[in-house]
Amino acid sequence: MATAPEQPEADGEADLAGGIAAVLAELGLASDTPRLTAIPGGASRQTLLVESGAGRFVLRRDPPGAEAPVSQEAEFGLIGLAGDAGVRVARPLHFEPHGGRFGTAGMLLEHVAGESLAPRLLRKPEYEVARGRLPEQLAEALAGVHSVDPVGAAELLPAAAGDPALDAIERWEAEFDAIGEPLPAIELGLRWLLRNRPEPAEPRLLHGDFRLGNFIVDEEGLAAVIDWELAHLGDPAEDIGWLCIRSWRFGNDDRRVAGLGDLESFLEAYANAGGSEIDLPRIRYWEVFANLKWAVICARQAHDHLTGSRRSHELASLGRRICEPEWDMLELM
Amino acid sequence: MTQDRPDAPELLDALAEFLFADVRDWAPREKRFQVLVAANLCAVLARELRAGERPLREDLALLLELLGSSFTEAPQASELRQAVRAAERDLGERLRAGELDDRLDELQLRLREHVRRKLDVARPGYAAEL
Repeated sequence: MATAPEQPEADGEADLAGGIAAVLAELGLASDTPRLTAIPGGASRQTLLVESGAGRFVLRRDPPGAEAPVSQEAEFGLIGLAGDAGVRVARPLHFEPHGGRFGTAGMLLEHVAGESLAPRLLRKPEYEVARGRLPEQLAEALAGVHSVDPVGAAELLPAAAGDPALDAIERWEAEFDAIGEPLPAIELGLRWLLRNRPEPAEPRLLHGDFRLGNFIVDEEGLAAVIDWELAHLGDPAEDIGWLCIRSWRFGNDDRRVAGLGDLESFLEAYANAGGSEIDLPRIRYWEVFANLKWAVICARQAHDHLTGSRRSHELASLGRRICEPEWDMLELM
Repeated sequence: MTQDRPDAPELLDALAEFLFADVRDWAPREKRFQVLVAANLCAVLARELRAGERPLREDLALLLELLGSSFTEAPQASELRQAVRAAERDLGERLRAGELDDRLDELQLRLREHVRRKLDVARPGYAAEL
């Protein structure tokens, strides 16, 4: 997530709209100049709603000067693989490299209508039917992601070493060290994770950020799994542990899976959809890891504010939320 | 120098109330969450100021006990935060080096006290909610 010097936006909004129009024409979709509206959300990708005569689309591209953990080109390929495996995704239509018609590296996707904000999905009456269906649909979607041929996915992703847990620990220890904040509970967590590793799992494609906020949901239930920028190879239980942490229950603390359902039924639906049998201690291990990871992300975001790379009281406030996943981690260990 | 009332936490209470009960209603929909974050930060600061230096002193005592060292002289208020950070860093380094591997269970238990003190200011009730 290094930051290169800011590039001058010589290609302004008009050029970008023109570039998108050319791509749409090439795809046989439209040739009029589309209207662009920013969709707020992820920090490491810029997302724009594209409205043209041929309908609505979504453009995702690197913000100028930023480098994402998974390249746009890899993400484009991975979404395709997941879609081919039967996972509901926003279908990727076209990729342009850096310096191409989208300015920075970026991809055009089909637009999927629906809601992604967790508090609305968990509370609004119009999503009651969807809430009932989501746990099973999420289990099926995750089983689909984990069924992707890891050899094909590995061609798009950095190589993974033998033990996925060791990989995960090393990656987040490095991220933590780059922040430089003294957090003894996190050090304890890293040590515990190192010494309590489960039998190494066969690495599979993971979504990497599978939680409410990254699902487009309509009144019928799951419409698309989005935001694949943290995809990597690892232990499938890592995606489930992340889905279970208390921060992603958004107040529905007694419902372990995404604030929606219980873990036992989720694992049953996951296995029925072709996922492997995963025992509870393994999920618990990855839930400890997930809490540690979320604590490090909070510290990272607060650090970005403090170093001035992205000034925002919202990021700053996350520094005071580190203690929440720290607490849950200590309780789960 | 003594300031007139309202004191600092009381002023933060006033700001939190204004943001929560007033600004939230007229802020544009896409900014409402940020207003709530600002209101919550005022409440966090008010709690931190009301708690004073006691949580820091308790934390320092805990961390030094876990490190097996003791201070001969309690630090001045101005040096307290620095002393806690230094102890946090020491404990972290010793954990990383594996020197405390035979005491991980004890540390897991005792560091809850440290994390709970942070929660008491940042998110009271969180530790008891489950």
